[in-house]
Amino acid sequence: MDYIYTILILIGLFVILASSFDLVIGHCGLISIAHPIFYALGAYVSAMLAKEGGVPIPLAMLAGGAAAFLASVLVALPSLRVSGDYLLIASIGFQLGLIEFAKHIHSIGGAGGLTNIPSFLVNSYGRLSYVILVLAVAVLTVLFVRWLTSGPYGRMMAAMRDDELAFSMLGRNAIWVKVSVFAIGSGIAGVAGGLYAHYFRFLEPDQFGLLQSSAILTMVVVGGMRTTWGPVIGAVVLQILPQAITFLGLPPSILGPLQGLMFSGLVLVFMFARPQGLLAAPDIWAGRSTRERADG
Amino acid sequence: MADVLTVSALNKRFGGIVVADNIDLSLIKGRVLGLIGPNGAGKTSLFNLVCGVVRPDSGSIMLDGQEINGLPIRARARMGLARTWQNLRLFASLSVLDNLMLGPQVYSADTFTDLIFRPGHVAAAERAARDKAFAILERTGLADIAHQPIRDITFGQQKLVGVARALMNDARCLLLDEPMAGVEGQAYALIQKAVRDIAASGVAICVVEHNVAFIRDLCDEGVFMFAGKVLARGSVEALIADPQLTELYFGT
Repeated sequence: MDYIYTILILIGLFVILASSFDLVIGHCGLISIAHPIFYALGAYVSAMLAKEGGVPIPLAMLAGGAAAFLASVLVALPSLRVSGDYLLIASIGFQLGLIEFAKHIHSIGGAGGLTNIPSFLVNSYGRLSYVILVLAVAVLTVLFVRWLTSGPYGRMMAAMRDDELAFSMLGRNAIWVKVSVFAIGSGIAGVAGGLYAHYFRFLEPDQFGLLQSSAILTMVVVGGMRTTWGPVIGAVVLQILPQAITFLGLPPSILGPLQGLMFSGLVLVFMFARPQGLLAAPDIWAGRSTRERADG
Repeated sequence: MADVLTVSALNKRFGGIVVADNIDLSLIKGRVLGLIGPNGAGKTSLFNLVCGVVRPDSGSIMLDGQEINGLPIRARARMGLARTWQNLRLFASLSVLDNLMLGPQVYSADTFTDLIFRPGHVAAAERAARDKAFAILERTGLADIAHQPIRDITFGQQKLVGVARALMNDARCLLLDEPMAGVEGQAYALIQKAVRDIAASGVAICVVEHNVAFIRDLCDEGVFMFAGKVLARGSVEALIADPQLTELYFGT
C-alpha cells in the first residue's frame, strides 16, 4: 500500500509541476525549461528551514515557494528586458549553475545529498494524509491555472502570444505579464518542492537537472499544451508507464534504459503523429465570459 | 487651434537610408491630416517614430505639451496615443470583441494583484470595457460579428476591427495606417463615417493612405512627404494639383 501512496504522491507532484509549467510555456508562451530548479529551490529552502531553523513545516513549504518566486523574478527580469530568447539561456544557466553550486555546499549536503529532512503528517496521521495533502494542492493548482487563463489575464496572454507589438500599442505591459507569470509558475513549483522534501526526506542536486526538465516538458507536450487536463493526463501517464513496465519482469539491465528511451520515444512519436498532444487546445481563446454567454 | 501632437526636427536614418529628414509636423484637435507620398517616402516610419516602435536619432515628439520621445510604446498609448497598422496586427486567437476588450488605456487585469484582492474592481472594469466595446461595434457596424474569430470575418471587417480596437483607447491622437487599402463597398463608407465622427469628437487624426479620393473626401489638410522630408502642407486639392508633386508621386 505504501508503494501505491508513493506513486500517488509522485503523480500529484508532477501534476502540480506540469500544470504550472504549462502556464509558463503554453499559456504565456515563454521559452524556458528550467522549471525543476525552482522545484529544487522550494525543496531545499523548505527542508533547511524546517531542519536547521525549526520553522513549522507548512510555513517552511510556503517560504520555499516564496524563495522560488523571488529567484525566478531575478532570473526573468533582466533577460526578458533584453528579449524573450534570453530567458531560455539565462534560466538554463541558472539551473545548471545552481546545481553545481549546491554540490559544493557542505551544509546542504553537497553532492551526496541532504538527509534527515523532518517528515510531515506521515508519522502522526499516516501516509494517506500526505496523499490527500498533495492531491489537494494539485487540484488547487489545476483550478488556479484554469481560472487565471480563462479570465481577463488569459485574454492578455493570448493577445501577447499573437502579437506583442500590437499588444504594447494598446498600453499593455508585456514584460510585466511575462515576469508575473514566470514568477507564479515558479512559485508553485517551489511549493511542490517543499511537498517533495518532507515526504521523501532526501534531496540531491542532480535529480533537478535536465532529465527532469525533459520529463516535465514531455508531460505537457504529450498531454496537450494550453489545456486544463492535458498536463494532468501527461503527468499521470508518464508517472504510471515507467512504473508499469517494471511489472513486465524484464532484467534491470534492460529496464533502466527502456524507461529512459520511453520519454524521448514518446516525444518523437507525438511530434510526428499528434503535435497538439493527447488533448488539443482550441485555437480561439474562449474566456469565462464567452462561455457564460454561450450558456445563457 | 490646439496642437495635440507636435513633431519637431525629427531625424532618423537606417544606414544610408533617410526615413525622417528634419520633420516638423503638428496634428490639430478635431482635424484630419492626410499623409501623401510615394512608397518609401517615410510615412509609416513617421508613425513608428511617433509611437516609439523606432527611436529617432534626434528631435522631439510632444503629446499635449509633454515630451514622449524616450517613453516606451505602452506609456504613449496610456497617454492617449492610438494607431492602426498597415498589416492590421489583430489578435488572431481572439474574437472581435476580445480584440477590443484589450484596448482601453487601463485594462481590467493590468494590475495582477487586483485579480485576487479586488475581484469586484476587475469585474466592474470588464463590464465597462464590454459596454464601451459594444457601443463602438454598433457604431462601426460590427456588433453582429462581435463573437466571431478574426479569421472568420472579411478583410474589410478586419480593417474596421483595427480601427474599432484603436478607438477603445479614448485617444487624443489617432494614427491610421492605410485604413482603406483593400476595402470596398459598405466597409469603405463605414470607415469614412467612423473617422469623421471621431474627428468631430475632438480627436486629432493622421491618415496614411494611397486612395486619393478617400484622402480628398476625408482630410481637412494634406502633407506631402518624399524621401523622409515634408515637402508641402496645404489643402488636399492643391497638393494633388501641384504638377511637381504629382511627378514625384508617380515617378514619371
